[in-house]
Amino acid sequence: MLRTSDLPGAALQESVPKESRPTLQARTFNCMGTVISLTLPSASGEDELVAATAVVERLFAGLDETFSLYRPESEASRLARAEIKLPDTSEDMRRLYADAVGWRLATEGAFNPERPDGVLDLSGIVKGHAIQEAGTSLLALGLRGFCLNAGGDVLVSGSPGSSSVVPAGVAPGSREPWRAGIVDPEDRRTLIAGYRLGGQAGAKLALATSGSAERGDHIWTAGAGSLLRTGSAASVFRQVSVAAADIVTADVLATAIVAGGLPMLDRATDGWDIEVLAVRAGGELLATPGFRR
Amino acid sequence: MNTELLPALAASPRAADARGTIKARHRRRLFHADLLVTVAWASVAAAVALWLADGGATGFSTLAGSFTALGIVAGLAGIDLVLLMLLLAARIPLIDQTVGHDRALEFHRKLGKPSLYLLLTHGILIAIGYGMAEGLDPVSEAVSLWVLVPDMWLAYISMALFIAVVVTSLVAVRRRFPYEFWYAVHLLTYAAVATSLPHQFSVGALFAEGTWQRWYWLAVCIATGAALLHYRVLEPVIATFRHQLTVSRVVTVAPGVVSIEMHGLNLNELAGTGGRFFIWRFLARGLWWHPHPFSLSAEPLQFDASGRGLLRITVRNLGRGSAQLAGLKPGTKVALEGPYGIFSTAARSRDKVVMIGAGIGITPLRALLESTPFTPGQATVILRGRSEQELYLGDEILDLARHRGATLFHLTGARSARHADNWLPAHAADAGHRLTDYVPGIADADVYVCGPAAWALNVLMDARAAGVKEDQLHYERFDW
Amino acid sequence: MRIRAAVSAALASAGILLAGWQSGTFVEDTGSAAASTSAGTAGAGSSGSSTAGSAGAGAAAKAGGTYAGSVVKTRFGAVQVQITVKAGSITDVEALQLTDDDRKSIQISNRAAPLLRAEVLAAQSADVQTIGGATVTSDAYLNSLQAAIDAANL
Repeated sequence: MLRTSDLPGAALQESVPKESRPTLQARTFNCMGTVISLTLPSASGEDELVAATAVVERLFAGLDETFSLYRPESEASRLARAEIKLPDTSEDMRRLYADAVGWRLATEGAFNPERPDGVLDLSGIVKGHAIQEAGTSLLALGLRGFCLNAGGDVLVSGSPGSSSVVPAGVAPGSREPWRAGIVDPEDRRTLIAGYRLGGQAGAKLALATSGSAERGDHIWTAGAGSLLRTGSAASVFRQVSVAAADIVTADVLATAIVAGGLPMLDRATDGWDIEVLAVRAGGELLATPGFRR
Repeated sequence: MNTELLPALAASPRAADARGTIKARHRRRLFHADLLVTVAWASVAAAVALWLADGGATGFSTLAGSFTALGIVAGLAGIDLVLLMLLLAARIPLIDQTVGHDRALEFHRKLGKPSLYLLLTHGILIAIGYGMAEGLDPVSEAVSLWVLVPDMWLAYISMALFIAVVVTSLVAVRRRFPYEFWYAVHLLTYAAVATSLPHQFSVGALFAEGTWQRWYWLAVCIATGAALLHYRVLEPVIATFRHQLTVSRVVTVAPGVVSIEMHGLNLNELAGTGGRFFIWRFLARGLWWHPHPFSLSAEPLQFDASGRGLLRITVRNLGRGSAQLAGLKPGTKVALEGPYGIFSTAARSRDKVVMIGAGIGITPLRALLESTPFTPGQATVILRGRSEQELYLGDEILDLARHRGATLFHLTGARSARHADNWLPAHAADAGHRLTDYVPGIADADVYVCGPAAWALNVLMDARAAGVKEDQLHYERFDW
Repeated sequence: MRIRAAVSAALASAGILLAGWQSGTFVEDTGSAAASTSAGTAGAGSSGSSTAGSAGAGAAAKAGGTYAGSVVKTRFGAVQVQITVKAGSITDVEALQLTDDDRKSIQISNRAAPLLRAEVLAAQSADVQTIGGATVTSDAYLNSLQAAIDAANL
């Protein structure tokens, strides 16, 4: 489906000796306008990966059907056109709406599920919710190690070495973390920083990134009387990455910090157990100690 | 001629080594006085320094911040003054023995108005400062502080109580009400301080948890409360139980004047307090709640080494409370606090001593004459009354003067009509006599004055004119 | 003797006020140091904030290099400010030492602070197993690093 030789990472890939890293297997599918990748340690077996991908794909597709504003027949679109009222919607819709409103309160309005035109837009929380649900399903399937990446938002479990078969160079019951890279918003072919997810107990499992460079259409900057689309000069952050214990918190706070600027960044680091790497409009970095070398 | 001159007779052995002690004690007392003044001022400075150390001065960068900053300083200084007032009224021995009870209360009264003004300023400036920062007028801000900020409603109550306490203590207002009313309102001071405390610690960051400022302020508040509790409650209760005083008889000394004799235990501990006063409560119906400040009119008489013995006070019918004392029944239990005040040997600074008393004010002088050290010939006693009958305990004083070698004058007769501000009887005043005519060396003597306020002030004026310095003048008010 | 009281009261009060003032400006200094840290943040690290420079940094600063200020006690814990100077202007201001003495300081030290790119946890695209980034569209995915990694693991 993809021509490996055309890809920028391909050359690098070959320069690294295979033995030094656990072997992995990955599957991808399209949904919610992006590509979702599920990566498992090779030891899990290909059948398991195919089955797991199918579960995740079905879950994503189901949620997309309900929440996509790009599908005229979705519940979200009918709600936006006021054909139905919120109390008459599905339980999923109402629950997610309640979650979103809760986050609006917690972030003092920096995260807002309503567009300036008044239309309810839950897309800021739907993807995180979908990843969370998918992660729960994967755990229910008995997978000990996985990495789920939905368009740049990452949820992991266990370690890339989690398996009964011990790959070369990795101890059994590996506590090795998943190594995530964060792209440079200036040059998306290079990485600006790395972060270790999972592996040990207490490590953060989720890393979400929001930006004003691409698809900023679900983020508005908060501020009295100036609800502006991000991507405009109003946003002080080009890109914000948040690592947290769960993907919804990481996703919502990353979105909120892009919208709420420095004050929201400080509120978020004060109020939640998270690590943040923020790239300012000028390219300078702000980071909590967890991102420090 | 009703002026009687007694030459110094016998030599008293106990005065021989007194000279050095009096000088040393005087120096120590002056040192303590300076120390107390320094500590008092330093405490105010410390209150402001607490705020400076917190970076308070940065508040002046904005107008709203300036109002708030000044408000905080006013509040800190105001509460510090209130705590000083409480300490001055706490009858702490160090303060009492250094400046005396009367002067401590005088300072206490002087601080009343400044502290209230500071606290009012605090409230107003904070309302303005906070209001400006939030875009509210001061009144709306005050209301929102009351409604929204925890503990602030208590602070408002505290402010109202402080106003009530200070207003009822103003001389003009105080005269219109009975002593008991003033006393009851004055007790509200404790409620005022208590209700002001919560907001000091919970509102604003200065005394936030984990700051050393919080510990300092807590320590100061707790120390003040402990001093009050100890010296005004515990000590009196302990003294009452220790001495077990009971009225044994009431003797009429002169028309309207009675001596009350009490027997009790451990009275040897009360020896040498001549001139100092105790607060007496006679535990009889209708009398027990009324505190009476009286000096002993004689050194305690001891029956045995264990301290069993007799005490005596001499009282003139001055007010409603003292009138009832003539009717005291033997067997009445007595509670006592004290001794207080510095109308005693503790105040001595010179070898020579002059004691001038009028009316019932003569009685504390009798006890002082009995106990204070002096070399024969170095002491002079001047007693003033309208008639010989008003020179209460005159006979006993005559005996003491003879025995100890003091010069004694009896000055009797009506006041001079021509010299209204003269303390001498008419014949002496009209003849142009002054204090120096009776005591030529008075400029180098300690002068103890006890009697009605107006008369005493005239004596003090005469003494100052004779070159007696302030720290040699010891004056006890006797018209409570 | 009253003179002695007045003098000692004045001296003691002045001393106490001065001590308070001194430790107060200490707090202010650290406050402005923190402010200049965030100023360095805002100014792309190129705004020369003179307050942050320690005395020793003065003349030598022109040459360039990294200079550490003295450790300052704040009520949030000890803080040391380091500046990086290039060609006479400060290019980076950094709080070096943030202790976790109490609740407040944890909050403060977990705050996002300005950082040079060389100071973050580095990552090589060859050495990571997944890529985080602002949402990539399906089209952009084709050219993304994540796609390369996924392809390698197919």
